Amino acid sequence: MDVQMHEVVLETDDQQPIHNAEENRPRDPPLKDSLVESTTPVPILPSIQSPDIPVEIESSSEDIRPKYRQRYLLSGHTQSISSLKFSPDGSILASSGADKLLKLWDTYTGEIIHTFSGHREGISDIAWASDGEYLASASDDKTIMIWSLEDRSAVKTLIGHTNFVFCVNYNPNSNLLVSGGYDETVRVWDIARGKPLKVLPAHSDPVTAVSFNHDGTLIVSCAMDGLIRIWDADSGQCLKTLVDDDNPICSHVRFSPNSRFVLASTQDSTIRLWNYQTSRCVKTYTGHTNRTYCIPACFTATKDKHVISGSEDAKIYIWDLQTRQILQILEGHRDVVLSVATHPTKNIIASSSMEKDLTIRMWFDE
Amino acid sequence: MNESLINPFSISHPTAVQTSLFATALFAKFDPSGRYIAAGRANGSAEIWDLETRAPIRWLDGHVKALTSLDWSRNSRFILTSAKDWNVVIWDLASKSDPLQRHNTIRFDAPVASASFHPRNSQVILALLTTGDAYVVDLRKEHRSRTELYEVLEESEEEEPSRPGMTCARFDPSGKHIFVGTTAGSLLVFNTRTKTMIARHKISGAGTMKGLEFSKSGRRLVTNSSDRTLRQFVVPTYPHPSSIPPINAGVNMKMAVDGEEPEPGAIDEQEPGAIDEQEPGSIDEPQQHENQEPGYIEQELEPTHRFSDPISKTAWHAMSYSPDGEWLAGGAADPAGHKIYIWDISNDGQLASALDGGREPLSHLHWHHTKSCIASTTIHGNILIWHCPSPERWGAFAGGFEEVDENVEYEEKEDEFDIEDAAVIFARKMKAEEEEVDIDTGSEPVAKPIPGGTSADDEDIAWAEEEPDGDDKLGWAMHVVMDDGEGDDYL
Repeated sequence: MDVQMHEVVLETDDQQPIHNAEENRPRDPPLKDSLVESTTPVPILPSIQSPDIPVEIESSSEDIRPKYRQRYLLSGHTQSISSLKFSPDGSILASSGADKLLKLWDTYTGEIIHTFSGHREGISDIAWASDGEYLASASDDKTIMIWSLEDRSAVKTLIGHTNFVFCVNYNPNSNLLVSGGYDETVRVWDIARGKPLKVLPAHSDPVTAVSFNHDGTLIVSCAMDGLIRIWDADSGQCLKTLVDDDNPICSHVRFSPNSRFVLASTQDSTIRLWNYQTSRCVKTYTGHTNRTYCIPACFTATKDKHVISGSEDAKIYIWDLQTRQILQILEGHRDVVLSVATHPTKNIIASSSMEKDLTIRMWFDE
Repeated sequence: MNESLINPFSISHPTAVQTSLFATALFAKFDPSGRYIAAGRANGSAEIWDLETRAPIRWLDGHVKALTSLDWSRNSRFILTSAKDWNVVIWDLASKSDPLQRHNTIRFDAPVASASFHPRNSQVILALLTTGDAYVVDLRKEHRSRTELYEVLEESEEEEPSRPGMTCARFDPSGKHIFVGTTAGSLLVFNTRTKTMIARHKISGAGTMKGLEFSKSGRRLVTNSSDRTLRQFVVPTYPHPSSIPPINAGVNMKMAVDGEEPEPGAIDEQEPGAIDEQEPGSIDEPQQHENQEPGYIEQELEPTHRFSDPISKTAWHAMSYSPDGEWLAGGAADPAGHKIYIWDISNDGQLASALDGGREPLSHLHWHHTKSCIASTTIHGNILIWHCPSPERWGAFAGGFEEVDENVEYEEKEDEFDIEDAAVIFARKMKAEEEEVDIDTGSEPVAKPIPGGTSADDEDIAWAEEEPDGDDKLGWAMHVVMDDGEGDDYL
């Protein structure tokens, strides 16, 4: 089956590989332009001939197409929603927005649990501590605030950045926080004391994403200068820089679960998987649109190996990790899908959008 | 993970001080995971520092007199502190109470010189008192006991033969045996489960045994004696205790008659002659203690290497092996400065380097369990953390650059500058991307096995693992306590 797919790709006249798409069933009627037919007859994909009949297609032995369906529509934010994160045990979804609020929602019922307020400007990013007890939020008011779920209030404010703080993440031990911002630096903080430990002169343009690897020894950062840098968490030294030919603005980067690869989204509408040891790009995912906003891409944590990303055409794209084919496109949002999050144990995706559509949608695949 | 990106050719012993922690500590020890360091203080409290943030995170207040030793359990969940106030206290770091409460207290009738956990089960504890007696305390419900370790002595006419006092006692890394050093300069070996002596090794030339340390694998042992020499030995293998019949002297006599002596264990080629093998002793049994197992090995051990300071003959305060056993670090009791000597064991024990830690004399030393990092404590209480500094590689800031040691002559290929059709390049790129990537393996933490075998093979190990202590790597995590901002003035 896989071999046949290869043939499809190489025989076409176009430069771009063909993407076979399956529509999201119950919401909106399938749009004709998003359905691409292959020029060579491919008997293994009957859905292309009859798009209205839901057919479960087995394109390879392990790869079953996902069938995410929207279940919940969560509204409450009054301005664009910038970031979504599931708690480490998956029971709570946290969302942050330009309306300076942080909201907690129950994953399984869609009910709102709590709203945190306190920031003086909009919030760009949030992160959960590994025990699920604390949340950190990065805001345009140049501070990072740490919120306790138990006390339902802010416990610490980290001051140090000299411009908007754009991204924040905990290390696996949750005793350190790394943040990046418009002041072009990456800062590492000691949470217990609320003091900055290190300031890395990381980039020459605003830093758009930072995160730790799974054992907390490396930090990866990317910025609008198009560079992805890997740092040693202990000494703060730069270990590697990954740069592609054109230097497109890098909107998001994260490590793979085993930290051997780095998934980077860039504003040339491409997502690349890099092996940073060899500095080679090993996978490329295209088909979505990303030219203006910093839209994150993520891995699914379940046994299906998918890459998921939002897009500026109001859709959510799901690719197969190995074959790079688009497996499903989720429609429903009415504005740029600015953020997506995947549940740590189940096949649940949460996505959020901007001004014209102030909703968070939760998609379940059971 | 970062080792592969940092220079892979670095020397694997520390060379420079990375940081000093102002801890007013008497001694400091790394925990097995390497994230924390625990320091014992003269006022009876212990402090745990987080090495990632370089700040103290927990305070253990339970003793009223100075601490004498401390030990971590194998997954860092429990800590044991012993002090001059005759107590040994066990603390559970997974507990969320603040301040941390004692988990268990063991009281003795003399100041405790040192205490340690059994490597497999933190409910079995070895304690050594300043009176020269050693005890094995078992806190498990089914096995609750406190047993004194007695050295088996030669027959004598006196009622109470004067026993040499025990000066240092340690579990070996597998936990099966306890090694004890005495004032007579001999090394006694006890079986942990039966608590009976199974061997006595005389070490010629050594005075009182001041300390002993094992390498991680348990195959090598280094002793510190009052003759200011460190001696390294290869640990002999001991026969299974069941091959030495217990208790009944009559049975033993029979054994001796049959000539079935227990094997003296693996004798190293390096040990020249001098193997005093006596009959499994006490056939005449004037032993005071009835349960004494008469079968034990008497053997003189020859060291593989001797380490001493040839110039000024300074004594040693502490020694510690590197995690791979390739290096041995010795902290010199030099009153004028802070000196650490590092010997290269794999290179026949040659002195590799002498580290200078400044003006404050050293009082203790401990090598990190996994990294090339040493913590040395000064008499003023500061803990110096030594590391291998890696020079900053400026080439890492530019993508696509690789630093090489020597100039490489580049040979251009025939087709180096051919202009290729963009479609062909693209197709080739797509083809290359077909390769499968694995994003998951390696993300699960693997628990390091304890040397000595598994419980399936050995009843000593199975005995130790009965009633496990709850200290598994995955089962607990150190809770991060938020500082309210007032904690800076704590002592």
